[in-house]
Amino acid sequence: MSGSAGFSLPIQVVQGGGLTAWLAEDHSVPVVSLSWSWPGGAALDPQGQEGAARLAASLMTEGAGELDANSFADALRDEAIGLDFSADRDGFEGSFRALTPALPQAVRLARLAMTAPRFDPADIARLRARAIASARQSLEGPRGRGARAFWAAAYPQHPAGRPTSGTEESLAALTAEQLRAPLGRHLRRNSGLLIAASGAITAGQLAALLPDLFGALPEAAAEPLPPLPELHDFGTQVVPVAAPQSAIIFGQPGIPPRDPDWEAAQVMLRILGGGGFTARLTRSIREERGLTYGIGIGLDSLFGRGVVVGSCATANARVAELLSVLRAEWARMAAEGPTQEEMDEAVAYLTGSQPLQFTDSRRIAGTLLAMRRNDRPLDWLTRRPERLAAITRNHAAGLAKRLLQPEALSVTVAGQPEGL
Amino acid sequence: MCPISRRAALTAAATLPVLAALPPQQARAAAPAPTPAPTPAPLPTGERPLFGASLWTLPNGLTVVHAENRRAPVVAHYVFYSIGGGDDPAGKSGLAHFLEHMMFKGSANVPSGAFSRRVAREGGQDNAFTSRDVTAYHQHVEATRLALVAGMEADRMASALFPAAEIEAERQVVQEERRQRTESTPRGRFREAWDAAFWGPQHWRGRPLIGWPDDIASLSRDDMLDFFRLGYTPANATLVVTGAISRQELERLAVEDYGAIQGRPAPWPKSRRGRAPVPASPLEDRLVRREPTVQEAAFMRGWVAPSLLEGTDAARHAHPLEVLSHLLGGGQGSRLFTALVASGLAVSAGCSYDGDSLGTGTFDIFVTPRRDTPTEKLEQAVQAEIARLLDGDLTEAEVARSIRQLTAGTLLALDSLGTAPRILGVGIATGMPLEAIEYWPAHIRGVTLAQVQEAARAVLARPSMSGWLLPEGAA
Repeated sequence: MSGSAGFSLPIQVVQGGGLTAWLAEDHSVPVVSLSWSWPGGAALDPQGQEGAARLAASLMTEGAGELDANSFADALRDEAIGLDFSADRDGFEGSFRALTPALPQAVRLARLAMTAPRFDPADIARLRARAIASARQSLEGPRGRGARAFWAAAYPQHPAGRPTSGTEESLAALTAEQLRAPLGRHLRRNSGLLIAASGAITAGQLAALLPDLFGALPEAAAEPLPPLPELHDFGTQVVPVAAPQSAIIFGQPGIPPRDPDWEAAQVMLRILGGGGFTARLTRSIREERGLTYGIGIGLDSLFGRGVVVGSCATANARVAELLSVLRAEWARMAAEGPTQEEMDEAVAYLTGSQPLQFTDSRRIAGTLLAMRRNDRPLDWLTRRPERLAAITRNHAAGLAKRLLQPEALSVTVAGQPEGL
Repeated sequence: MCPISRRAALTAAATLPVLAALPPQQARAAAPAPTPAPTPAPLPTGERPLFGASLWTLPNGLTVVHAENRRAPVVAHYVFYSIGGGDDPAGKSGLAHFLEHMMFKGSANVPSGAFSRRVAREGGQDNAFTSRDVTAYHQHVEATRLALVAGMEADRMASALFPAAEIEAERQVVQEERRQRTESTPRGRFREAWDAAFWGPQHWRGRPLIGWPDDIASLSRDDMLDFFRLGYTPANATLVVTGAISRQELERLAVEDYGAIQGRPAPWPKSRRGRAPVPASPLEDRLVRREPTVQEAAFMRGWVAPSLLEGTDAARHAHPLEVLSHLLGGGQGSRLFTALVASGLAVSAGCSYDGDSLGTGTFDIFVTPRRDTPTEKLEQAVQAEIARLLDGDLTEAEVARSIRQLTAGTLLALDSLGTAPRILGVGIATGMPLEAIEYWPAHIRGVTLAQVQEAARAVLARPSMSGWLLPEGAA
């Protein structure tokens, strides 16, 4: 293992205007990325108003202050500023990337978008039409139909089961007031507001920028999120879609990011079906049998909990065969755990690939923000190699036995599968 | 052109796929992919090269490109072959791509599957992609691992095996990839039908990169061996290494790992592949498809357009066409946006100009109409914008705005490990001079209103093809 294993840019903690940001400073490229987030997102959309947070986020950059939508877009694009607001299932995020000469303008426009977004009726109509078209179009193929059905069945009584982007019906029914409401629910100064920065900016510059960017937001506590129940085991579900190939999504309960075994689970799940061509599922399902173009699983974290989810696609006639191989591999890992060689390779990858996380300023800021969301300490990355090296095969095998439940794998098949 | 990659995008099931058919306004603004020019023009003083790359050739003909970037102790190692899906023999569509998959099945000193496994064990990431003009293999690794990946890449350049026992399973993988990318959605099927109608289903430009199903089914190991012998040789390859490495280190490493490969002569100059001539205009003028699963109609109108690399005088229109594409359909504030989206006729509208492909370029308009917009009305509105352009109502202000927005973010290309080697590699492997890549912004800034006007007339006054994808039962 070379000296660069576990490489990480030093992380500084920067205070300004009563806010704290993490910074990975790097002046090799004249670019600055900033990412920030609040808990909430689509989880705070009231029943029947699905898609409100996401549509509201997209409207924030469609005109603000004196700038109408076109002028706002030109102000961004004239200086190649990428400013974006978005809502996912359990969070509301803002971010920008700018070349250093454009940084003051990026801060000004981001502040305007958060404090004085216009929400002009014509822009609401235009973005609503786009969102509705997008919601309808996402249901044209098996993949979109399958994803919708999987999450609805996995969390039937919780916002996590509802479509984050909304539906044709919910989007059409949103009033202007309901559309503005997500801004009030999220854009606050509180301990839930997490900020991370990366690139060509000093700690002093960042400290000065924070009050400029967030100082005008009202100080108020974050809205509580509805606690996520355990993933509902719904067995096997078929969604009929006219297509030559079925999209398959499968999942089972996982463990939360704060669980001490979270990294051991990452190692074990990489061996079973994570990225790369070495994973067991890729070997047995793609390489040996030619059953799919790609299969991958991951430990997805939402609402502070964890869920193991994976997806793949195969010809309708081969769905049953694929599922039987999948369940067999799931059971084999649960019964035997990984081999020592697999452990060594997975740990070597996870350790050795760490420098690759530090090649893109947006990704670096995103990594820092994820660390903050998961309550990681500042030295989390520098000490990661030693933590990974300390995970024994027996420990991973015990975790596999406890975590993996081949009989409790919930599966959605969207297509025209045969033999199910 | 959208290259296809060996590895499926393993999008978490949680995220619904974003609309493929809406114009990539965000992507455009956020991640500029400079398209370089072939003819170096006089440069304004003070102009600096974008990547600061250098280029040299080994005695066996291998082109080597180097650019240093010291942000992290990592390197990107890419090999581009100047052969792609556009070079598939007649009746053998999909060969370049299928062969790319089989390049991971072992070479003289690297067993099948071991390539990716070793890269992963060293903390690296590897993959490959096939476009019409190039096939590329790449790894991102921590800098001290470069020799390991270069050694394995050189081994398969010299001695890929294509084991017969592994071809059938991989053929199934490719057919599944085809079903996933193309056959599973009405939009995928429509795009394939569009190219086939526009250029002809057996013309190299009209065939799908991944291949027609019958062709994929009949490709043989001998086809692969012939194709490999033709195109996979140092004289037809470009090695690009960027990141935390000096030019001196790379000079040494390139000779050590690639210098000893016995070369065959290049089959062709990188920019002249001897492909069939391209029709001057589309073979059809209309394509209408109705499908029951279509939720949202889509309209396309496309023209044959000159490419920077087509080797005729018309290549001078390429940079002006980039400007034209931006001002006509480059998102918010563009002409199509104003005429179609802001007016309430459409959900989205945009342009796409593919101007750096070999043989020919294309200029396309994409529209997702609102549901209550009659098809004729939308087509008339598009035609009205074309007519305005041809009448010559361009203004200096909108040309200046487009040039500003196209070039403002050029330096952002340095903010990633993979962007520089891709831009450099695709350019050099298709015969573009390095200067044209390094000084692309200056070429765009040199575009004048008169040139944009002339380019618009050269393309948009010619015959086009219009196409509709409609829900079943729609008018």
